[in-house]
Amino acid sequence: MNNYTTTQTNRTSPSAAWIADIRSRYPVERVVDEMFTRKLYKRKETAGQNLDFTRLHKPLVEFLKNETGQTDIEVLNLQRLSGGASKEQFTFDLVWQGPSGARETRKLMVRMDPKESIVETYRLRECQVLKAAWGEVPVPEVLWIDPEGGQLGQPALIADFLEGTVQPEVGEKMSGVGMYFNPQLRAALGDQFVKILADIHAIDWRKKDLTTLDVPEPNSKTAVQTALGLWERAWNEDTLSAHPVMERAALWLKENMPVVETPVLVHGDYRSGNFMYSDDLKINAIFDWELAYLGDYHDDLAWASLTIFGGPDEEGNLLASSLMSVEEFLTKYEHYSGNQVDPARLFYYQILSFYKISVIGAATSIRAASSRKTHLDAMMNFAGGIGYLGISELNRLLDNAK
Amino acid sequence: MSPEIEQFLSGMKKTIEEVVMPNLTDRFAQEQAGIVAATLGFLGTIQDKVFHYELFENQEYKRILQDVLTILDADAANAEAGTNETLGVVVEKVNKHFQHDNPADQTAFRPYLFIRGSNENMKEFLCEFIQLQPEMPVQVRQDFEALLKPFFKSIEIRERSWVKGLGFDPAAEQQADIADLLYENEYLRVANINN
Repeated sequence: MNNYTTTQTNRTSPSAAWIADIRSRYPVERVVDEMFTRKLYKRKETAGQNLDFTRLHKPLVEFLKNETGQTDIEVLNLQRLSGGASKEQFTFDLVWQGPSGARETRKLMVRMDPKESIVETYRLRECQVLKAAWGEVPVPEVLWIDPEGGQLGQPALIADFLEGTVQPEVGEKMSGVGMYFNPQLRAALGDQFVKILADIHAIDWRKKDLTTLDVPEPNSKTAVQTALGLWERAWNEDTLSAHPVMERAALWLKENMPVVETPVLVHGDYRSGNFMYSDDLKINAIFDWELAYLGDYHDDLAWASLTIFGGPDEEGNLLASSLMSVEEFLTKYEHYSGNQVDPARLFYYQILSFYKISVIGAATSIRAASSRKTHLDAMMNFAGGIGYLGISELNRLLDNAK
Repeated sequence: MSPEIEQFLSGMKKTIEEVVMPNLTDRFAQEQAGIVAATLGFLGTIQDKVFHYELFENQEYKRILQDVLTILDADAANAEAGTNETLGVVVEKVNKHFQHDNPADQTAFRPYLFIRGSNENMKEFLCEFIQLQPEMPVQVRQDFEALLKPFFKSIEIRERSWVKGLGFDPAAEQQADIADLLYENEYLRVANINN
């Protein structure tokens, strides 16, 4: 890639002084700062992503022996999963002595960081959030974690593999964007989708082990400051090209931050493509909790109803997460959660959501592909289209902002 | 020279779709091959417009930065203290850049990488001005925002048109074709075609 400006050179080969400067400019959560800083220090490493996943077999066996204390385990049928975008995912069959004491085979999945990800997140944090959600809403059970990648080569978590359907169509849509559910599926899944979101927001997070999440002061702007700080820092660390509309958006978002009275557990990526349902049409898993944080429930509402993630019904009407109209989604959410939807705050989080998807599509994805440090270089370049679509929508919203 | 780039790209796309993909058994490999084929299709639609896209933006950024300098110059002339120091630093950067890529030069004869590099610099200068809006006097900020609003709109329309072939836009049919935005009467839509 070409670096045409001093700033672009700094992003590609960040010096310690440049990293210190960028850390001082954007308020982010403690763990986010650690992850982003680590990413920058590793950026100059030239080794690209190794796509030969068979390399994982041996360290995986050793890791599982250590974790289980069993020496006669077997790892069979290690395979890469298709779909997804930010993390490498594999399935395998673990043959071991299960909790009942009997020798058994259990199908598991590995969720592992590539060398550079479209969202740099902490596996221990995702693990803590999944465990907090376990028993409250449908999630896969997390069994083990290698948070720093010391044993598996890259940070990873291992969880139960659940059977089900994420995308009903033949011919998959990238990362679940613009999916179509037929009327029968919409009728069966819509209410569950909203009810589960309300249940997530009702989780009593203070009673959970969530030490990797910063706890914002109630009735303050701290939660939105750090949420915005994350995406603004990601943009300024990763973009290959400055963008006037993104600066316009960042300024507006900083000058119009709403207070968060009572922070809730925000999923951070709640939408079609991130849930799975069983053959009897029950949602049996919510995925991709890596962006969860403590903040305003309007953030999840705005994200789940973002036009980019929506698909049309039979009349061509765009549906929130391809399941129902935005109005129906918000009405159902108020019913199930007891939370009021404030249109002004929803508008703020719609702008933040478009800013976020624009950062992911137009900056972090393209950066990861340019460094050749993902398992999905072609897809990451292609995803730039989502980013520029996001910027376009962002500008339309900003033209209507007060 | 033959074949033209479009022919190279369409040949590769056909080979991947009709030879490689039907013989892949791994789902991940199928998925990635599909993205490669779609990317080749997209490149086929834009490859002959890349140079003019950058040239068009070059003219647009030169124009908007000159207009911003005019607003700030007028403010400095009216204010006793002159231009805000931080804004002044960016003004100096723009003026220095215009010695490198002069708005009066015949940019169309420059190499692609020169134009692209110049555009990247000018985008950064404009972004710095946008970040500094809180430091502008109220009237200057209002004038600046009024100046930028149609510029933002033109970016919105142009970029959305550029990426519509990637297939993510639910309103793709409502977007203009990039060729219609770039050209009029088979000429690039720039104020001074000599540039």
